[in-house]
Amino acid sequence: METNKMTMDNIEKNSLAKINNRKIDSKNKFDISNFVYHNMAWIIFAILMVVFTCLSENFLTFRNLISILNQNAYVIVAATGITFIMMSGAIDLSIGYQMAVNGIICSLLLTKYQWPVLLVILVSIVIGCVLSLVNVILSIQLSLPQIFVSLGTMTIYQGIAYVISQSQTISGFPKAFSYLGQGSVGPIPFAIIIMLIFFLIMSFILNRTYFGRYVFALGGNEEAARLAGINVKKVRIMIAIIAGAFVGLATMMLISRIGSTQASTGPGTEFTVLTGVLLGGVSIRGGEGKLSGVLAGILILALLSNGMQLAGMGAYYQFIAKGVIMLAALGFDVYQMNRRRRIKKVSKG
Amino acid sequence: MSKLLELKNIIKKYPGVTALDNVSMSFKSGEVHAIMGENGAGKSTLIKIISGAIEPTDGIIVTADRKEYDCMTPARSKDNGIGVVYQEFTLIPSLSVADNIFLGNKVGGRILVDFAEMNRRAESLFEELKVNIDPQEMVSQLSTAQQQVVEIAKAVSRDARLIIMDEPSSALAASEVEGLFSIIRRLRSKGIAIIYISHRIDEIFEISDTISILRDGRYITTKVIGEITRSELITYMVGRELSEKFPERKVKLGEIVLQIENLTGKDNFDINLSLRKGEILGLAGLVGSGRTELAKMIYGAAKIESGDIIIKGKKIHITSPDIAISQGIGLIPEDRKTEGVQLEMPIDWNITIMILKEISHYTVVSLKKINEISKKYADRFAIKTPDLQQLVKNLSGGNQQKVVLAKILAAKTDIILFDEPTRGIDIGAKHEIYKLMNELVEEGISIIVISSEMEELMGMSDRILVLHEGRITGEVMKKEFSQDKIMALASGM
Repeated sequence: METNKMTMDNIEKNSLAKINNRKIDSKNKFDISNFVYHNMAWIIFAILMVVFTCLSENFLTFRNLISILNQNAYVIVAATGITFIMMSGAIDLSIGYQMAVNGIICSLLLTKYQWPVLLVILVSIVIGCVLSLVNVILSIQLSLPQIFVSLGTMTIYQGIAYVISQSQTISGFPKAFSYLGQGSVGPIPFAIIIMLIFFLIMSFILNRTYFGRYVFALGGNEEAARLAGINVKKVRIMIAIIAGAFVGLATMMLISRIGSTQASTGPGTEFTVLTGVLLGGVSIRGGEGKLSGVLAGILILALLSNGMQLAGMGAYYQFIAKGVIMLAALGFDVYQMNRRRRIKKVSKG
Repeated sequence: MSKLLELKNIIKKYPGVTALDNVSMSFKSGEVHAIMGENGAGKSTLIKIISGAIEPTDGIIVTADRKEYDCMTPARSKDNGIGVVYQEFTLIPSLSVADNIFLGNKVGGRILVDFAEMNRRAESLFEELKVNIDPQEMVSQLSTAQQQVVEIAKAVSRDARLIIMDEPSSALAASEVEGLFSIIRRLRSKGIAIIYISHRIDEIFEISDTISILRDGRYITTKVIGEITRSELITYMVGRELSEKFPERKVKLGEIVLQIENLTGKDNFDINLSLRKGEILGLAGLVGSGRTELAKMIYGAAKIESGDIIIKGKKIHITSPDIAISQGIGLIPEDRKTEGVQLEMPIDWNITIMILKEISHYTVVSLKKINEISKKYADRFAIKTPDLQQLVKNLSGGNQQKVVLAKILAAKTDIILFDEPTRGIDIGAKHEIYKLMNELVEEGISIIVISSEMEELMGMSDRILVLHEGRITGEVMKKEFSQDKIMALASGM
């Protein structure tokens, strides 16, 4: 049985036509649907800015905007670290209670034991790393996905927080400490400056270093990363350390701003972070997304929260709203997934 | 041409089975060396030994520098320039082409990636291969053929001198295979040795220089391409004379059992067809012509936008597979691993999964019936397995396909849609399936078969309908069967 000569000749001529994909004019074409899709979060943010400006004359003032940014600076710092975890295809639900434990230990060091402020900040970073590492180490040892491990550690940390704090509120921080969350450089609060600096550092690491590539690789196709010679365990540990450090710093920013802490300070943050990260375009499966999107995502939530507050919505109504937004964010994530073509897996013979 | 790798008397034993029995082979630079054999012949085991994924029980491996080893390791094989392009791609979808090619290898400083350099190197690699893919494009945006080129580039970037390609054409459409061959020829001209594993005899004859044959773990022979004919090759592989002629049958066609009128769906427009009892109707067409989508619509697995399906004279509104099944329609899907079987379940449960209700007594499934029914089909189809509790994932592709067929028949379907029934199956098993199809139509079952292998379609069908971009462009009767005619219709001419 002969192969088809006629078609073979035709194909011979364009043998590589199916593979070559570079078109001369494609680079300069501006595709609006692509633009919208890639910048969805910022577009929503812009729309919300317009809406709220129309709704209230006090909205578009320097004072109000800085206030919103200031209140959420710590969330953005935490989200920056958590983005790394999610990009690598894992999820850590325990960060809220990590913040509680961290905050309580450090505030005790500040008040009861009168440790120097800078030292305590350093300690909080270390504690953050440790608490985060526990999740990864357990995940490796038990061969369980991090999300399940974090369900367990979350509850343990909750217990620890209440035990250490004895359910009391701790306050009375030294003046030097409150500079972190309440001080400012000129008109700009210190917290915002820290947030920007660390955000830019993380963006740089994610986009321009080998480590950043490895993070993407782990989330995109962990097996392929392993086969490419990437030490998956080592990378996951590094990610946990970075995320933990950021959560620690965020904790300090938070308790410094509000001036006190209790075992319930911190929990709830993981929800905001998760939703914001998803809204920003980071896939829950990992391997895709941009840090700038995360910034937009958190800001969207900040605006909505601010708006709901001004509208007088009670905290419980806000819960309902937040849940709805979370589902919408997940739905958007799925929509993103379907829009991308995936690697075809071939069935073996 | 120098010897890049030599295997001497390799033996690989697993508890209870000898996968490789005294296999010796050598691979020379600048040569495309095909390894052929039925499923279970030992090809994958051999590849794993060469790449260092597993160790032989006995034997020696000699590398290009004349050093002898009793096993390869992933590191050692990499150092000796051995690269593998697997069937299942190991790419990161959200990273760029260049990122993927150099993943794991540092291009740039110690911490920072030098993107410009990475893109430059990717460009020069592609230039060597004479392809034109944008290194900054995200891999998820590439076609399968392009992704495969990236996989090959990955191997080449690691200075591979010997590249193993495992079923490289199975992911590609017919028109894309030529591109693959172009690249293989380029690599060959640079002195790279290629080990090519494939079931497609046509391709082997087109691209390889040497063929080695394994059978039941034993090395049979190595021949230069010009010194062996197709039938000799098949005889070596199968161990007996196997005529390439398709099995004959004598069936008298009965009344029309299935009629499709003006059927339109997402990928099909205005389809009209009829199927007679005892007939095998072939559907031909290029990739993307809508054949699978049509089969899925008939089976209720894809949405029908307009049109009618008439089964044995009655108009039936099919909106889901269970309706189709109750009307006697069964589907053997294109991708048996993800659509046809439950890999983690045993054979007997797989075979009876569609009729559990009938063999249950007040929701309790009769294990006796499961055993009875699955044994009946396993015997009839000669499913090779030590026992019926074996998990389906441990079966060869051909045997898995038989399980799917058994499942459909157990559900008493008499109109069966076969979508690429012999894809990825070796020649011996293929013929078993052809024989089975003949037996079925002789018993009064009607079949629609979709296949991209022209000879298979022409050899099995009574008549062929050709699709192009979702529409039927022509019908070819058995006496007019010709590849040229069908290809012309499939290309829209």
